[in-house]
Amino acid sequence: MNMVRRMLIVVLAVLASSWLGAQTDVLVEALRKYQAADLAAARTLVDSAVRTPVHAENPEAWLLRGFIYKDLYKSTVDVPQADLFRDEALASLYTCIGSDTVGTYKENALQAYEFLTRTFFNDAAKALSEMNEDRALVVFPKYKEAALRIDPTVDLKGRTIEFTNALGTVYTKRFNQDRTVGTWFDKAVAAYKEVMALDPENYGANYNLATLYYNRGVYNIQRIDADDEIPSILQIQEASREFFQQALPFMLKAHDMNPTRRETLLGLEGIYYSLQDQENSDKFRQLFEEIPPEDGR
Amino acid sequence: MLSRLGTSSVLEGAKTTPRKLTVLRIIRILLLIPFFLFAAVPQQPREAEKDTTAMLQANYLYNIAKLVEWKDESMRTGNFVIGIIGGGNLYQELIKQYSTRTIGKQPIEVRKLPKSADVERCHILFVGRSDLALFPEIYKKLQGQPTMVVTEYAGALDDGAIVNFVKVDNLLKYEMSLANAQKHGLVMGLTLKNLAHRVEE
Repeated sequence: MNMVRRMLIVVLAVLASSWLGAQTDVLVEALRKYQAADLAAARTLVDSAVRTPVHAENPEAWLLRGFIYKDLYKSTVDVPQADLFRDEALASLYTCIGSDTVGTYKENALQAYEFLTRTFFNDAAKALSEMNEDRALVVFPKYKEAALRIDPTVDLKGRTIEFTNALGTVYTKRFNQDRTVGTWFDKAVAAYKEVMALDPENYGANYNLATLYYNRGVYNIQRIDADDEIPSILQIQEASREFFQQALPFMLKAHDMNPTRRETLLGLEGIYYSLQDQENSDKFRQLFEEIPPEDGR
Repeated sequence: MLSRLGTSSVLEGAKTTPRKLTVLRIIRILLLIPFFLFAAVPQQPREAEKDTTAMLQANYLYNIAKLVEWKDESMRTGNFVIGIIGGGNLYQELIKQYSTRTIGKQPIEVRKLPKSADVERCHILFVGRSDLALFPEIYKKLQGQPTMVVTEYAGALDDGAIVNFVKVDNLLKYEMSLANAQKHGLVMGLTLKNLAHRVEE
């Protein structure tokens, strides 16, 4: 917050000194309204200003517009409207950076641009934490787009992995809420596999995918009831066995990455148990018991 | 106590001499006990909701019960009693899924039995592998009784069990002994035989 405020002071000082002699300039009026926190009026004026030939390519004008729209974004509760303000702010700041050949405003514009870019990622994270994956899938691509627009060489792999893992977790939760809907299961599998395509050594994706497959197999067996007869039991077991066998390599890989992690030891114990492999199940149960809970990372 | 196992009635029809078979059985059980005591009794019990084996065994027991005839008239009235020694999750699963069902007209009653060879009258008695040490006495006490002993260890049919759960290709299946069934007055249905992994005649 302090950083943003400092940026604002800097930009206002720069603008004020530039426009002292142009009292009637619409841009100066926009600045005054902005200083007076009248964002609606400032917006109207700055929109007019950038449409005039004198300011159309003026980096100062685009910087002010970027700040006005940034503040409008921050003060707007309505999400679609706030999104529009943010898009406008980013576009204005980007125009400022592109037209600022001397580099006078670039640093301020860049800081504001990066702040707004981060808000996309934060919004995506917040949306996922609220199980709103539709929203997350709208704002995360915008984060990548905004970040790449300003720096085409930026490495977004880490963020993409982080997001996709979290997306997989949301799909998994959705599947756990209603396991009759296989779509969520398929989406979760796809998400974790996407992570592993980027980072085959990703512990979370390996563990989560293994757990997902294992739980699917367990779920099939949990659904067995008194009306199922022996032939059905064999068919259900065969279907579940496929899921348990699919789970195994991923859980083994997660275990290899961190052999003292209790959750993978317990996971392997469960998978082998469900595969009717008592010897291996007992082996991993024993390893699990040997590690105190506080030591199991 | 173990040396008194395996009377002639239990071993009727066996090719090996009773005394020799008894000794073999005792040796096998004695060899298996330390392994099961060490490896099969985790300090923390498995969560019932993830105990897939217990779920499968419960359903098998229910289906097997439906496909077996108890010749003893006294077993055809009253509750259909399934006794469980060990197998806490199996007991829970039976209670949850099957305790409101009937076998024929007999309501199912599931009993958790103490870890003792002094078993009550049951239609089916399941003894888990963690209680292998009880088997010699259990087999002895149930000789000729109309109780179907079901268990889950290698060689159980040779020892006197009627149904034994076995692990085949990562699946839980069952094997059964018709000879042992006959000794306990049980007639195993044709479907049950056809679906078994292995049938000892």
